[in-house]
Amino acid sequence: MIKLDQIEVTFGDFVALKNINIHVKEGEFFTFLGPSGCGKTTTLRTITGFIKPSSGKVSVRGVDITDTPIEKRNIGMVFQSYALFPTMSVYENIAFGLKVQKMRKEDIRQKVYAMAEKVDLNEAQLQKKVSQLSGGQQQRVAIARALVTSPEIICLDEPLSNLDAKLRVQLRNELKDLQKRFGITTVYVTHDQEEALTLSDRIAVFNKGVIEQIGHPDEIYNHSATEFVCNFIGDINRFEPEFLEKIGADRFAGIKINQHCYIRLERLHVNDLVEGDSLKTDAVVQSYEYYGLYIKYSLKVQNHILKVIEKNSGKPLYQIGDKVTLSFNPNDIMQYGGDKV
Amino acid sequence: MKEKKITWYSFFIFAFFAWFILSCLVIPNLNTIWSVFVQDGQFTLEPLQKLLSSERAMRSLRNSFILAPTLALTVGFVGISLVLITEYFDIKGASILRLGYMTTLIYGGIILVSGYKFIYGSNGFLTNLFVKIIPNFPTDWFQGYWAVLFVMTFACTSNHMIFLRNAMRAVDFQTVEAAQNMGASPAKILIQVVLPVLTPSLLAVTILTFITGLSATSAPLIVGGKDFQTITPMILSFSKNMGSRDLAALLALFLGIATILLLTIMMKIEKRGHYMSISKVKTTIVKQKIRNPILNVLAHIYAYLLFLIYVVPVVLIILFSFTDAATIASRKLNISSFTLKNYMTIFKSTSAYKPFLVSITYSCLAAFAVAILVLIACRLIQKQKGKLVSAVEYGMLIPWLLPTTLIAMGLITTYNTPHIWMFNKVLTGTSFIMFLGYVIIKIPFTLRMTKAAFFALDDSLEDAAKNLGAKPFYTFFRVVLPVVLPTVLAIFALNFNGLLGDYDMSVFMYHPLNQPLGVYIKSLTDSQSNADNSALTFVYAVLMMIISGIVLYLVYGRGEKKGKVNK
Repeated sequence: MIKLDQIEVTFGDFVALKNINIHVKEGEFFTFLGPSGCGKTTTLRTITGFIKPSSGKVSVRGVDITDTPIEKRNIGMVFQSYALFPTMSVYENIAFGLKVQKMRKEDIRQKVYAMAEKVDLNEAQLQKKVSQLSGGQQQRVAIARALVTSPEIICLDEPLSNLDAKLRVQLRNELKDLQKRFGITTVYVTHDQEEALTLSDRIAVFNKGVIEQIGHPDEIYNHSATEFVCNFIGDINRFEPEFLEKIGADRFAGIKINQHCYIRLERLHVNDLVEGDSLKTDAVVQSYEYYGLYIKYSLKVQNHILKVIEKNSGKPLYQIGDKVTLSFNPNDIMQYGGDKV
Repeated sequence: MKEKKITWYSFFIFAFFAWFILSCLVIPNLNTIWSVFVQDGQFTLEPLQKLLSSERAMRSLRNSFILAPTLALTVGFVGISLVLITEYFDIKGASILRLGYMTTLIYGGIILVSGYKFIYGSNGFLTNLFVKIIPNFPTDWFQGYWAVLFVMTFACTSNHMIFLRNAMRAVDFQTVEAAQNMGASPAKILIQVVLPVLTPSLLAVTILTFITGLSATSAPLIVGGKDFQTITPMILSFSKNMGSRDLAALLALFLGIATILLLTIMMKIEKRGHYMSISKVKTTIVKQKIRNPILNVLAHIYAYLLFLIYVVPVVLIILFSFTDAATIASRKLNISSFTLKNYMTIFKSTSAYKPFLVSITYSCLAAFAVAILVLIACRLIQKQKGKLVSAVEYGMLIPWLLPTTLIAMGLITTYNTPHIWMFNKVLTGTSFIMFLGYVIIKIPFTLRMTKAAFFALDDSLEDAAKNLGAKPFYTFFRVVLPVVLPTVLAIFALNFNGLLGDYDMSVFMYHPLNQPLGVYIKSLTDSQSNADNSALTFVYAVLMMIISGIVLYLVYGRGEKKGKVNK
């Protein structure tokens, strides 16, 4: 539905984006993920029209909109700060876009009320000032305001980033729920990998103005295309070549111990031989962090430290100094060419 | 619970403030009312009848009430333009324009008006130019209502450049983008999204402008001419004559009531609150391009025209301060006529540099005294709560409600006879009374700003000091004072600046042997036929601009740079 074709954006001499090619499908929840300054917001703003690419093409349903002015694009947007107008009531905020379209008063009223109902805002809240609402309610106003004009696409720029952790998780679920209900094509920007993994149909991982990988959450997580992606998403252990050699990993086809080899924390098993675990080593518990849901152990193996996650399933905890056996499946090793870090 | 101990020094401090507030802030002003309505021990309305039958007085009242609202409109229009030009629209050269528009910060009051007179006055630079082009051009065109309005319109935009500009910078730019995204036109965004956020600040500065218009002094005095005198100049001339002092007091009272009324409205507006942006991740405004090419050109022309109006007087004053009397008289600049003689005169001749010394001494002492007084008061307000302390705080804010003229009238009419409150000392006519007046008018501003600094102070700092065993005095001097000192110094500098060229207060209470700068410049301006005097005026103006410029740079300039680095 949305197609970004060879987009390049420059600010003065600085190349903010290059070779950006993305194809977002109808109804999809698509996330741009990356560290700050990686170009994800710039890409989003190129879609909404706040930024003109220096080259490349943006099209929606096959229509080139690269030079279409912002207000004619029919793309809704939810801002990081929500950008609710502080001088207007909640009702006036939601009605703003409709008023601009010079819609009849009665129609505006109906639409605003219908939309308010969908996002669970009641009559009393509609008459309030925006500063009197809680963070969660403000977010719903922002979403309602963006959706009330029935845009074809909605863009969200880190809408959860200025909320506290608990509200964040709650609103994340609300957001996903709303998107499912409306079925609208959604482009979402975040630097929070958990947010990206839980919400998205597909994710594009950005780094320094280029896209490192586009894929489904499990592809990105389990089969990270680049070393950057595997490091950015989730926690990971890096294997030293000497270690791999010692435990005989080089006898397995496809494992080149001179490359950068990684393994996810949860793919290492402690005192528990899972099928396919053909590599084993002894280890000593050095320290642990207790999270409640799980325990993260730091194990000393020869001269380096490996981190392991154990579900808090009722087994007695390992104590510091305990000797354990660590095992894993060689297929779970992710490796990347040694030339790139 | 901590036991409340009344120590000997807190008792002494309370006693001092009680005396100060009563004798300097309350009694003189009550005495003004008293002196109007009670004469020879009997209640009388005679002064009111005298006032109603005095044509001059009534006309001045009417003039003030014409000037104030029109000024509020014109200043509002120009002020909003300045803010939009420098902060909102994409106008080429905005940073230079901004510097030009900010000249009123270093160049105001009496010297600004005399600068305008030099350019537009009867033998003025521009007037001569017009006469050359249009032979029958009236040389006295720059006099009366329109001249006063013109001068004050451009002189009174400082508040807009400080407060309204800050409000504009605080606008959350994402709201502008959101409106764009929903299809709003640039005009609609400006009117419905940006300006509503500015409304509270705009109302506040408009009321301040209105008050300035009511109590206008220098502009009507210098360019008002016979036909357009306003309340304050009238008070001034009435107060010089013992027989009409009651009239002066009554007029001052009128001014005071109007000011209190307006300020009450303003406080009501402030209570309603500023529109707090709800966002925690504000994006600063990106200058808006004016897309319509014709409008864009017009906006640029308008911006630079304003720039010229602001800058030309300043430039000419600086240029002519380096020329000899003949050049000033003829207003014809010539390379050979440039000289440093004027500056030498000022530094050599006692009569020329004395006003400068007088003003610097008075301003410095008064600014220092205010700082100390308010520091003690703030410490009191911060540490001890209760009705007595609130009474001290509100008492100290009294001068804020009253026009300078009324305060001055109160002081000179109350303490021209021995008074028990002043230990039976006569103050009127001494060199002390002007110092007292300077201190009084600077108290409210100083108190508000210093108090803010005290309240921004992290309480745990003091607790930590106490926890480490420091005594209250030690804690105050080693922990509290260093934290609030930058603010205190900044306020000291601003107060010093404001007092340096003061005319409104000085003219009522200066000592004849110690003429302050504002009064001296005014006397020079009156006889502008004498070109030597003009030269002196210009040199004073330049020196004051330099001092004010340095002070402002020290207070704001460095701060702004620091702010930028932090971003």
